[in-house]
Amino acid sequence: MLIVCGFPVLFLQPSKDISPLLSLITTDMSRYRKIINKLFASFLFIAVFSINNNARAQDGEALFKSKCASCHKVDKDFTGPALQGWSSRIPSPDWIYKWIASPAKMIATDPYAKQLADKWKPSVMTAFPELKKEEIDAILAFVDAPVKTPPPGETPGGAPANDNSLWYGILTLVLALVAFILLQVNSNLRKLSDDKEGVFRGEPVPFYRNKTYLMTGILLLFTMSGYFFVNGAIGLGRHKNYQPEQPIYYSHKVHAGVNQISCLYCHGSAQDSKHAGIPSVNVCMNCHMAIKEYGGDKIFKEDGTEVNGTEEIQKLYKYAGWNPATAKYNPDNNGDGTPDGAKPIEWVKIHNLPDHVYFNHSQHVKVGKQQCQTCHGNIQEMPEVYQASELSMGWCINCHRETKVDFNSDSTGNKFYSIYEKFHKDLKNNKMDSVTVEHIGGTECQKCHY
Amino acid sequence: MKTIHKFSAIALVAMIVITSGCGSKRSPGRVYMPDMAYSRTYEAYDLLDSTKFTGDVNNKGGNMIYFNAMPAAGSIKRGDLFPYTLPNDSIGYNMSGAIANPVGELSVADMAEAGRLYNINCAVCHGAKGKANGPMSGKVGGIVDITLPQYQALGDGTIFHVMTYGKNNMGSYASQLTKEQRWKIVKYVRTLQGGGAAATSDSTNTATAVPDSTANAKKTM
Repeated sequence: MLIVCGFPVLFLQPSKDISPLLSLITTDMSRYRKIINKLFASFLFIAVFSINNNARAQDGEALFKSKCASCHKVDKDFTGPALQGWSSRIPSPDWIYKWIASPAKMIATDPYAKQLADKWKPSVMTAFPELKKEEIDAILAFVDAPVKTPPPGETPGGAPANDNSLWYGILTLVLALVAFILLQVNSNLRKLSDDKEGVFRGEPVPFYRNKTYLMTGILLLFTMSGYFFVNGAIGLGRHKNYQPEQPIYYSHKVHAGVNQISCLYCHGSAQDSKHAGIPSVNVCMNCHMAIKEYGGDKIFKEDGTEVNGTEEIQKLYKYAGWNPATAKYNPDNNGDGTPDGAKPIEWVKIHNLPDHVYFNHSQHVKVGKQQCQTCHGNIQEMPEVYQASELSMGWCINCHRETKVDFNSDSTGNKFYSIYEKFHKDLKNNKMDSVTVEHIGGTECQKCHY
Repeated sequence: MKTIHKFSAIALVAMIVITSGCGSKRSPGRVYMPDMAYSRTYEAYDLLDSTKFTGDVNNKGGNMIYFNAMPAAGSIKRGDLFPYTLPNDSIGYNMSGAIANPVGELSVADMAEAGRLYNINCAVCHGAKGKANGPMSGKVGGIVDITLPQYQALGDGTIFHVMTYGKNNMGSYASQLTKEQRWKIVKYVRTLQGGGAAATSDSTNTATAVPDSTANAKKTM
């Protein structure tokens, strides 16, 4: 009601106010023109000035990101020093412009520049002679602006998934109990009525010796045990969901998911050999020479305990024989060809095929053009890797039956399929509608049982 | 009645035994015939008897992994390029510029392959277009924009040298890419820098291959 009543009032109110204002503007325009002009000019001036100011601050951030951010952070030492508080460190105000224009010249002449270069060896500041003085000012203004700290992260997890099965179970039990009691009452009542009518009936058999009850119980037990027995027996030797604890908490979610590192960056031999390959430690160190601490979202183990990512990186340094303090590998004093203290990481193998099965990664990855996820599941979303597929024979055969062989994309490279021209002709003449892996020998025993 | 009791007891025990094995995710569970499931031959990354697999007297400590077996010193794989002999120091770096790229003009397919390798190994830091804006930029420090004039001015050999030995925060890619692949990537880097005839014809290729560098999609693999 209030809203409906409010509408006419809303419409009426301004018209009362505006009418004198309108007449004022139209009639006395000449009188106010000067004032309006002045106001407009000052407004324009303020607007232009403020826009200009905004643009400068944004420029500073954009310039910082494009020119400096690859080596400098505002509040933390990175490849180069943290930039915040630069003005209190430099010897003279114009030092910073000279330094940015030509660090090499300054290192040769200026003592503070020399000191900086020694401290951050072997990295040397890149020269930016193309940066104008205003641009440098904009960057420095951005650097000196207070750092926005993100709000403290909320703890993930939250309420556990609503699982009603427990309540359903309790409900079933209660109902079963009620049914049981009713049956007992029924039999007692029948006995009473029989007694009244003079029909003879013996003492009721207690329920634990009642043959119907016993038979039902045994049947139930038999079915349930049979179900679990058969399932367990089929699962014997298949390790689906196997998720061992690894020597280092390595999160595929962080590496392949968040940081979008290609699977083949680390498991490059999946293209060329039978094995997908466990990367040697030097591949880890390609990035972890520079990435010394974990700064992403909180990471958890399967049981919910939080993992300190930085400590896990320290473990890697131990395996690699890398000294993070000096940023160098340990010297090789014992002459075994590796840095002292370095040893291979004993990763636990998750996907195991029985010895009598031959599986070749390159055949599937390079020739079959299968994605890793086809067999390994959504690896890029697994903090700890588990076996996502059955890896059973039926599972393999199913895929081989369904996967269509791609002839078209191979016109440039793979000549392997050229011997299957018959299939091409048959497809053209509508003798068959598609070629499955089975057709080209995918279900021959020797393909896997060599 | 007794047989029924016996039967149900056996069924119960069997049920418990079979199902108890599948409880933990941390253990792999059991297999039917260990002889057929577990290899008796040497498998890759297997723990090997250190008394047989190393000559190092100090390093005999039970079963260990040996996956750093290098080919004999001085051996060259059949069909491989001649070894790169410049040392990993400033002298080698300065001399590397004079070394010519042994790989000739790349065919369209070869260039696409070089681009694919670039997207897998390099783009994660240097960006699909070489602008130092890959997913890891900001996490790994000191990533250079390889399209800048000072990097365009580098010789082919110097780019190869850096890929082989690494520089500053960049590691060595000698274990991930063969010499030929590295030289081909040098050619691809040239197209990113705007040189080379293949640059224009290949730009569409690059654009479609960008998601290739993520783990989520690898259709062109």
